[in-house]
Amino acid sequence: MTLLDAKVNTRYKVSGVSGEGNARRRLLDMGFTPDCTLYIAAVAPMGGTVLVGLRGFMVALREDAASLIEIEVA
Amino acid sequence: MDYTVSLVGNPNVGKTSLYNRITHSLEHVGNWHGVTVAEVSKKIMFDHNTIDIVDLPGLYSLSVYSPEEGISRDRILAKSSDLIVNICEVNNLARNLYLTLQLLELDVPVVLVINMMDELRKQGKVLNYRNIERVLKIPIVPMSAKYHSDVHLLMDVSVDYIKTHGANTVRLEYLDKLPLDDVISIIGANAAQAGLSPRWAAIKVLENDAFVLGKLNLDKAQSSALAAMGDLQARVAQVRYEFIDKITEGAITRSVSSEHHEMHEHTAHNVPLESHGENAGEIAEIPHDKHVRHHDRHKAGERLQMLGVSKLDGIVLNKYLALPIFLAVMALIFVITFGLVGNFFTWLLELGIDKLIYNPLTGWLNSINCPDWIVGLLGDGIIQGVGGILVFLPQIVLLFFFLALLEDSGYISRVAFMTDGIFRKIGLSGRSAFTMLMGFGCSATAVLTARGLEDEKMRKKTVLLTPFLSCSARLPVYSTIAGAFFAGGSPFIIFGMYLLGAAVALLLAALFEKCVKPLKSGKLSFIMEMPPYRFPTAERVLQIIWNNAKVFLIRVGTTIFALNVIVWLLSNFSFTAGYTVGKDARSILEVISGFIAPVFRPFGFGNWKAVTSLLSGLVAKEVVISSIESLGGVEAIFMGAHPSLSALTFMVFTLLYVPCVATLVAIKKEAGLKWMFFSLILQIGVAYLVSLAFYGIGLLVLLNPGVTVGVLIVAFVVAVCIAVLISKIKGKGSCPYCTGGCKTCDRKKDGKDR
Repeated sequence: MTLLDAKVNTRYKVSGVSGEGNARRRLLDMGFTPDCTLYIAAVAPMGGTVLVGLRGFMVALREDAASLIEIEVA
Repeated sequence: MDYTVSLVGNPNVGKTSLYNRITHSLEHVGNWHGVTVAEVSKKIMFDHNTIDIVDLPGLYSLSVYSPEEGISRDRILAKSSDLIVNICEVNNLARNLYLTLQLLELDVPVVLVINMMDELRKQGKVLNYRNIERVLKIPIVPMSAKYHSDVHLLMDVSVDYIKTHGANTVRLEYLDKLPLDDVISIIGANAAQAGLSPRWAAIKVLENDAFVLGKLNLDKAQSSALAAMGDLQARVAQVRYEFIDKITEGAITRSVSSEHHEMHEHTAHNVPLESHGENAGEIAEIPHDKHVRHHDRHKAGERLQMLGVSKLDGIVLNKYLALPIFLAVMALIFVITFGLVGNFFTWLLELGIDKLIYNPLTGWLNSINCPDWIVGLLGDGIIQGVGGILVFLPQIVLLFFFLALLEDSGYISRVAFMTDGIFRKIGLSGRSAFTMLMGFGCSATAVLTARGLEDEKMRKKTVLLTPFLSCSARLPVYSTIAGAFFAGGSPFIIFGMYLLGAAVALLLAALFEKCVKPLKSGKLSFIMEMPPYRFPTAERVLQIIWNNAKVFLIRVGTTIFALNVIVWLLSNFSFTAGYTVGKDARSILEVISGFIAPVFRPFGFGNWKAVTSLLSGLVAKEVVISSIESLGGVEAIFMGAHPSLSALTFMVFTLLYVPCVATLVAIKKEAGLKWMFFSLILQIGVAYLVSLAFYGIGLLVLLNPGVTVGVLIVAFVVAVCIAVLISKIKGKGSCPYCTGGCKTCDRKKDGKDR
């Protein structure tokens, strides 16, 4: 599954990052590397944007970026 | 000697705070990402050396994403600095060191600053950076740039390092896990030709960096040889992070007692770098009775904190509470700023100016038989007009006080996050939300912050929309008029003006997205780091207030003063008859503005005085109200059949028409001449049309309240029903990859972009 299917207040582990080019590299640079632990802190009230905690910081991702991050239950 | 030192780091780690400390500047800082959008530099003297300190926009990696990151990347790649001071944030060390590794890969001289040590100390923790220093072989200076920090130590270390550092001997062992030699054998010659280090180019090639690949100019055989090696992009990031995890493991530990970390701080700041490592050595964790008891309870929270999640966000960003909390916060700010507190101080200032300056001065001038026109110019033109603006200083201070609190605490970024649903639909990103929020301060400076926006169409759109958000110069206009006509409800009327401005901006964005092709930005990607909640420091809040109050006072003393004199003279002298008071002659402005006046007749303020004040407002919006004051006050302008409705419409028009010439200049700078004219026409057109609709509806309500309100409610309900129906029908074909509106969705079922 991808970050789009993730539930709020739940912990996950990254299994991979799909996509290509700039979008993918930005996610990798941000630290979404395989085996990294994630926590879904919030989903925006109107949906479509998730707030994820990882490696000591939080980042908001729109659905296009979130759909690139493959996750599994930690 | 002359040196150049560049400040480099991730966004929002405190580069500008440190820059301000080193150079004694007052550049704008804020607890969000991308405050700095251009290179800023200043020369300082240190120890007989002239050092050019360069503050660069933040970047996450040398593979860039937005134009402002490109500025930093180019500067770093040019290797034009004698030293790079790389600033890291202690709470977020792993991701910050990711950039550090890239700087070391590039082989540039680096001094590492680990900032925000104060936040670590507050959590009762200490950092043992000795291991990191040993592995990376670069000097590390821990610091709290936000508070008084030992900048002297950093400069000492930096100058020393520039003078003494030799060739970089650091062995970045993780690079052994990548097939760099194989890549070099393919691209080595091209790299040498492009003037790049083959090893560094090889890393970038594995990362699929478009910038470096473009420079290498590889042929087909080379590209396919590289492709045969497989996709190693994720691998590069992974080995870097694994290495970082290894060197930072156990670096942050709970301090044993307060004495210990006091001592630690002491040593870290005062002992010269070469020797302080020993003192800052590992501090073993000694189990503490109290500590153990609380341990379990703290553990879950601490684990969340390790992931960077704040518990407060559970409430602030709660699905149902987020928007009510936001509206409540805004309403509170408006009630305080424009209600009792702000009004009291304004009243006090007004009284002071009247009793201490106006009355004695005019009394004295009259007693020495000064000519009438001089009394009029000094009394009504200058003191009443300029003083009429000056009295809003308390409200301006309060407004910026709250804006500073919102900005510095990290709440503004939360606002950008929770409103992202709307922004996403109208082709804007969270970054444009920042620019627009800055528009509540000053339209012209806000427009300039749009430079950091990644997408060109979105940038243009943001630049066009920002002027509709009510800047602080419009505040005196609302405050005076609302105070005169709606004494009790003025905070809510003013809040309404701000909401109307925001609503117009959002509606226009939606319209542009649908109908104006050069402004249609489509579905935009959006990755925004959320800053942690921080307690705003008095120093920074005062700095923001002071910067803005200073600008306001300077404007009052120069532009507004000069304009007021001109307006008063032109409105009290005629072309032929001289001073007009007491004579039957039309003043110069009465003639000129009289031409335009009929345009505003439908709104009930089609008189030359209103037109004059609106025209003079083109230079600075505060002048709208100072002109009104010197032309006889609000009562002399709104005299039609429905004075309060005319007054409200006047406020609406003031909100929406051209903010000031400076904003137009800023728009020209960011979007070009063509868009400046577009924006000029847009602002005047929108202001006129919305005012017309507003006055019309207002008139209907006044004439036939019951029926009109009923009709409006029915129309609203029908509109909502239609909107819901349309979205239901549209949503039917929705795929699992998006939350709805699938007909416009850019994705196919397999998740790939069309």
